Amino acid sequence: MIEKILAQNNLVVRHSRLELMEHWAIAISGLILLFTGIFELPIAKRYYIITLPGLGWSADFMTSLYLHYAAAFVFSAVGLFHLFYHGLRGEKGLLPQKGDAAASITVMKSFIGIGKEPPMHKYLPEQRLAYAGMAFIIMMLILSGLVKTYKNIYAPDLSHTMLLWATWIHNIGFVLFFLAFLAHMAAIALRPNWPMVRGIFTGKVRLDYARHRHSLWLDEIEQEKNTPAAVSDKTTASEETDPAEAPQPIPQPETPQPAGEKVEDIKSAAEDDEKPPQTET
Amino acid sequence: MNKNNLFDLSRRSFLKISAGTAAMAGLNLPKSAGAATDRQLSTLIDLSLCDGCENLKVPACVAACKTINKDKIPPVVDNIPEPWPRKTIEDWSKKKEVFNRLTPYNFIYIHKAQIDGKTIFVPRRCMHCDNPACATICPFSANHKEKNGAVVIEQNQCFGGAKCKDVCPWEIPQRQSGVGIYLHVLPGFMGNGVMYKCDLCNERLKEGKLPGCIEACPRKAMLIGPRHEIEKEAEERARAMNGFIYGNTQNGGTSTLYVSPASFEQINKTMQKKPGQPDMKPDVVRRMAATDPLGKAVLAAPALGVIAAGALNWISRRKEQLKKEEEHHD
Repeated sequence: MIEKILAQNNLVVRHSRLELMEHWAIAISGLILLFTGIFELPIAKRYYIITLPGLGWSADFMTSLYLHYAAAFVFSAVGLFHLFYHGLRGEKGLLPQKGDAAASITVMKSFIGIGKEPPMHKYLPEQRLAYAGMAFIIMMLILSGLVKTYKNIYAPDLSHTMLLWATWIHNIGFVLFFLAFLAHMAAIALRPNWPMVRGIFTGKVRLDYARHRHSLWLDEIEQEKNTPAAVSDKTTASEETDPAEAPQPIPQPETPQPAGEKVEDIKSAAEDDEKPPQTET
Repeated sequence: MNKNNLFDLSRRSFLKISAGTAAMAGLNLPKSAGAATDRQLSTLIDLSLCDGCENLKVPACVAACKTINKDKIPPVVDNIPEPWPRKTIEDWSKKKEVFNRLTPYNFIYIHKAQIDGKTIFVPRRCMHCDNPACATICPFSANHKEKNGAVVIEQNQCFGGAKCKDVCPWEIPQRQSGVGIYLHVLPGFMGNGVMYKCDLCNERLKEGKLPGCIEACPRKAMLIGPRHEIEKEAEERARAMNGFIYGNTQNGGTSTLYVSPASFEQINKTMQKKPGQPDMKPDVVRRMAATDPLGKAVLAAPALGVIAAGALNWISRRKEQLKKEEEHHD
């Protein structure tokens, strides 16, 4: 389990380095695929994109295809790696759970001041639903893209019916991927989600935020920590001292938390941290 | 030419070849052409035989093609939508009779080259490439290649973006604005008509008929047949006339083989390249071939991802196990 509480720094480790690499490999290659895919349409000349600085190549379909393939290599390899690696490890935190749709509505209503957010796990219910949607879109894009690539190299006379299926799945997948990307950006723009943004860059989120919003997740971490095989995070915490980190107010004016509660939480976490390392009995 | 005449062609004609092939296969002609629609066909254009039909107002192959395809393009809308922001409209609907260049209404023309005072007549049309970029990277797969080698644009699926023309080394496909599916989507912003070109009379091939140009040629300068037979015939003819072949290697290979007593360097030099009248550069590289190695890597990428996942999972589990064992010993 990579997740651990770094109480001295008011942080909690949310993502491993490997997960960060997976996310950014998919994100960057996905964006390159999106743009080079757009440039596979005959629009660069028509819309004078070629006149923009640095985009003179955009009307050259072969250059776009070369870049598209390069990004597709990363996208497909990492996409399948992600699916199999986390599948083999039984990591299912991002898979939708029963009741996620209703819980998502409750969370979204809380954004506009209607009701309160329920206590949440590591991922929000809408994140789990969005993940499933995005994974489906990505798989559609990869599968149809592989058929198109195979046709480009080995079978230019592939059955037209199959080719039309692959093409339209790819084209519709492209539109859905673009919309999903916009939705992803929109989710980040929501103030209550801001504290999670640092997590996808550094792997860590603020402990006070996590305690406030992802209480079920912290319970799981603490429960794990208290099992006999758990390793103390005290050493790790001291190794990863980050003086710049300090408790920050939670940017969620709709559901303000009493300051005292946060201090208590931190204090409590710090106290936990000062406990001697757990050993097997 | 009636069907019976198809059996009376000269020794060097395709149909003679095909007759032999067909006889061996227990088939009779011209059904063999139809039977061959799912196997790869090639065409041969013998420039030593083509005289450009100088005695006719319109060369026979061109006239036949025009007749067959006269109703192919639906009526063009009265007010062709002006594309935005580049306002290019290509409307040939009032110049349908043009026959000396490629247009949406004219899929074959005779290109003349002058060599040592002698005129070489070169029937020009789509080469039907072996791996045609025009088809493989059509964003809507409206342009595709059939099993028999014919490269066909489905006019009811084409948006007329002219990408196929951009990637064709000979800029063969021609656009007619004001027709097609784009009119029903976002005509001002997306698409600009339909692309048209020779489809090797694919529908006629399915019916067991010959392509119009080949059937109409009075000098039997054009042939069609099974690919290996046509290749063999082209080589034989080139050897016999101490001549040259064009189309076998160009753009990665095509299913159109020109045989000429003059070299194609010479032909190309004296050919005037104009819009709708492409040149015949001998060294035409298939540009998309440069992307093939990376494409192959893409095909291997999912397997690499799965292997890496398995390997890393094994390593992680092994590390965790060792760690547990160490803790146990401590």
